[in-house]
Amino acid sequence: MTLLDSIRAGERGILVSGIHLQVIQSILDFDYLSGKERSILGIVAGGRKSVKLFWGPEEFLMPCFASFADVPEQFRAQVRFLLNVQSGRRAYESTVAFFEAFPEAYGAHIFAENVPEASATMLIEQYGKTKVIAGPSGVGFVVPGLLKLGAIGGVDATQLWTNKLMTSGSVAVVSTSGGMTGELINAVAGADKRLSFAFCIGGDRFPVTALSEVLKLAQEDPSTKGIAYFGELGGVDEYEIVELIKSGTLTKPVAAYIAGIIDESFEEHVQFGHAKALVATNDESARAKREALRACGVDAPDTFPEFLEALKKLPGADHKDVPVDIAPLLSRRSSILSTREIIDLKSIPVFVAEGKLVTPETGFMSAVTGALLGRPLTSPISQAFFEAVATLLIDHGGNVSGAVNSMITARAGKDLVSSLVSGLLTIGPRFGGAINEAAGLWLTGAQGGLSASEFVTLETSGGRVILGIGHKKYRVGMPDPRVAALSEFATLLDSHPHYDFARSVEAVTIGKNGSLILNVDGVTAALALDILSECEGYTRSELTALKDAEFFNALFILPRSAGFMAHILEQKRNDEGLFRLPDNLLYTRPAGEE
Amino acid sequence: MPNGSLGVYLCSNECNALMSRVKLTEYRAKSLILGEGYRGVSLRACDAVQFPSGAKLVLKVDQGVKKRMKQGLVAVGIEATEIPVFIDEWSSRGYSNFIVEELFPHEEKEEQYLSLERVRDGYRLLHAAEGGIDIEEHPEKVTKLVASGEGVATAFAEATGLPETFLQDLLDCFATKHFAFVEINPLVVRGTEVYLLDAAVLVDSAGQFSVKDAWSESDIPEKNAAHAAEATVAALQKTTPASLKLTVLNPDASLFFLLSGGGGSIVIADEAALRGAGNEIGNYGEYSGGPTREETYLYAKEVIALLLASKATKKALVIAGGVANFTDVGKTFAGIIDALSEEVSRLQTAGVKVFVRRGGPNEKAGLAHMRSYLEEHGLLGSVYGSDTVITQAVDDAVDFIQG
Repeated sequence: MTLLDSIRAGERGILVSGIHLQVIQSILDFDYLSGKERSILGIVAGGRKSVKLFWGPEEFLMPCFASFADVPEQFRAQVRFLLNVQSGRRAYESTVAFFEAFPEAYGAHIFAENVPEASATMLIEQYGKTKVIAGPSGVGFVVPGLLKLGAIGGVDATQLWTNKLMTSGSVAVVSTSGGMTGELINAVAGADKRLSFAFCIGGDRFPVTALSEVLKLAQEDPSTKGIAYFGELGGVDEYEIVELIKSGTLTKPVAAYIAGIIDESFEEHVQFGHAKALVATNDESARAKREALRACGVDAPDTFPEFLEALKKLPGADHKDVPVDIAPLLSRRSSILSTREIIDLKSIPVFVAEGKLVTPETGFMSAVTGALLGRPLTSPISQAFFEAVATLLIDHGGNVSGAVNSMITARAGKDLVSSLVSGLLTIGPRFGGAINEAAGLWLTGAQGGLSASEFVTLETSGGRVILGIGHKKYRVGMPDPRVAALSEFATLLDSHPHYDFARSVEAVTIGKNGSLILNVDGVTAALALDILSECEGYTRSELTALKDAEFFNALFILPRSAGFMAHILEQKRNDEGLFRLPDNLLYTRPAGEE
Repeated sequence: MPNGSLGVYLCSNECNALMSRVKLTEYRAKSLILGEGYRGVSLRACDAVQFPSGAKLVLKVDQGVKKRMKQGLVAVGIEATEIPVFIDEWSSRGYSNFIVEELFPHEEKEEQYLSLERVRDGYRLLHAAEGGIDIEEHPEKVTKLVASGEGVATAFAEATGLPETFLQDLLDCFATKHFAFVEINPLVVRGTEVYLLDAAVLVDSAGQFSVKDAWSESDIPEKNAAHAAEATVAALQKTTPASLKLTVLNPDASLFFLLSGGGGSIVIADEAALRGAGNEIGNYGEYSGGPTREETYLYAKEVIALLLASKATKKALVIAGGVANFTDVGKTFAGIIDALSEEVSRLQTAGVKVFVRRGGPNEKAGLAHMRSYLEEHGLLGSVYGSDTVITQAVDDAVDFIQG
């Protein structure tokens, strides 16, 4: 089965390396207008979680992955092509990384100009025989209605429609120049023909897939009845066409235009726009190549208008364009990403019915947690757990640092919001901000690979502490009652790998110091992970995303805000007055200083 | 190297916008090939150069100039004291980079020819044991071999009789210094010693990021810009990822081009040449790769200035290109209109007409904007979009200037 057969059989999954929004969006528009599923499965780009794009008139979030290895299992089987829009210096390694991760993939387009020749020849050595790779440079390739791999054929919906890229036909367009690929595609549509496929080889000196390989694809493709070719001065690729025709390998009619007669108007040979467009020897001139093509029967006229006439004479097949409405694609506007909607007016719960109080199905914290997660909690276990966590975390006394700040600010005469914010700004790695860090540790640990003691050794190297472990007051033999209460939730679960791991870490750390027990942050993080996983169906990568977004710290911030406000209101009610530290606490110096 | 390689490089800091294969100075080429063995000293032109008294020297212009001997840009067998004389004379001819080496006495029959080039399937070697010949004229005397993978140096050594270690050093330069082509002519071999009497190296400019300081833009001789506009555009090119190119062909011609796209620009220029208007072309060049409105304005300004400076009686500006894949027609045309607006009264006085053909993203709005501007100011020749052949605007312009 040839590449084109496979594509026509629906194998068209694309991974993008790097971000070029215009090109990526044009591929999605092509898919949408063709009435197909999205061909792009995701984008491999460090530092992004998703990219906002349009599917038809609607916006959606295209997932991003940190590396090819991070592409989720559900997509992997569909991957067939790479669209590489990385810079010239990164093009080689990213292409190799793709084919190492997806050795069965069919091909790629490398968009960058300025890929070093040495990289290009290495790619040829590694993949020249087995893969189809358009570029380096150029605009990629397109199979009408099925696959658009690159900027080829245009990037706005109007172009996709006027170029009739949704309708399959019988003319193959092959060009070194990206711009002239567009011109020829436009000319084919203007001649009331349709493309079987179009392939831009790229204007670099060493395109990975050579002209002769593309022509063989065209020859073997039953849909292709004729070939339109654009070439330039420089290089000797056109002699490959001559060889293919002479050897009988290429029998389909070819119309060709070889640009560059203008070079004869210069005193010396000139380097034109593309790297290869420079005449080094006489056989590389436009005139010589044109004449060689003519000699073996190619229709290779002198002028471009004559070439368009030759193109019109290429055999065409009947075609029928399916009318599509591109209007909805032309008036799109990006929004600010927010999946949080204003409270749904249709589903306001009934609080009181027929003069009687209706016992609420779920509590405030369940509703809040659902809002934070972006989807409601469905399991009574998770509802009860988050309710319990919030209740336990509302307050832990007025002497913890955040509460102290809130109170001091309130006593300085500031308003409620200012006082609250001063307390909230105290939350961080040493106070209250440990749940999220602990969740990260348990996620890593529960993945396996390290024993609890190895994990402790690694995490405590360089004097670091393990967040989620240790308490100032409680210790072995004097357990934290909140931890004990929350731990009971583990008995409701079938499995609790994060909780188990946290406990195994505790078993190691208490061997060093009795105060290094699992604390309330640690147990909250562990059980939240286990409960979201088992009761709400969260995958490991979704949990990691929640951790990265700092969801777990919200579980502390929210109830503790209530606690802070309680302290603030109390200070105001009692009008405690301006606070200052007692004088005897001040002006001490570190030991040894005078 | 015992002899013939005490090179002194008289450099300037001029440099060139990098693209594709570019030529290094002879000094840098030899330094890279011979490494530690090349005991050259790099000096500024004003520095004093010390040579053993009585040493016979070779002084050459080192700016990538072809056929230096014919042009009188090589001085053979001179004394150190004569150096300033030659440099003064060559400086007055516009040259600024020179190389000095000790003369290497040898017989002509010792001279060999060697070139290596990176090709699709590996490396191509051309070698002639008989030096001083034109290899294009005497293909029968040239050994030609393409090899790749392991053992290239061995294969080349066997085919030529040249020392394998030397060939390996050259190949290493291809691997690590992004050499694309090297030509040594003449080359003299005595035992295991190799002497490069002249060496030309083309490096791949795309590899510059990974060669560290092995070579840099300062090692690439700047061609003296024939025209101030070329220098301005070359300077502009260095500041943008877009492609901006300009060559002045005939300052007093009738046709001036604002072309876009590497391939499309050639097609349009071809059409003018094919219509017999080749000698009426004032400039060649192209803008592509998505320049901004401001960059397009600065580029167009140079072309418009060239057109206004031309002494031709009937003048046309051709703004043309293929159907762009992703360059925004609206934005780039806005930049061109900015430049036209600055000179609109002079363009009107000179009776200039503007002929346009362009397609691509935002084509409709871009063309409409251009048409209404040209109409309003009496500059309209014709305006076409992607439904008209790419050569129509230049055809109309040729009709206009010949009419």
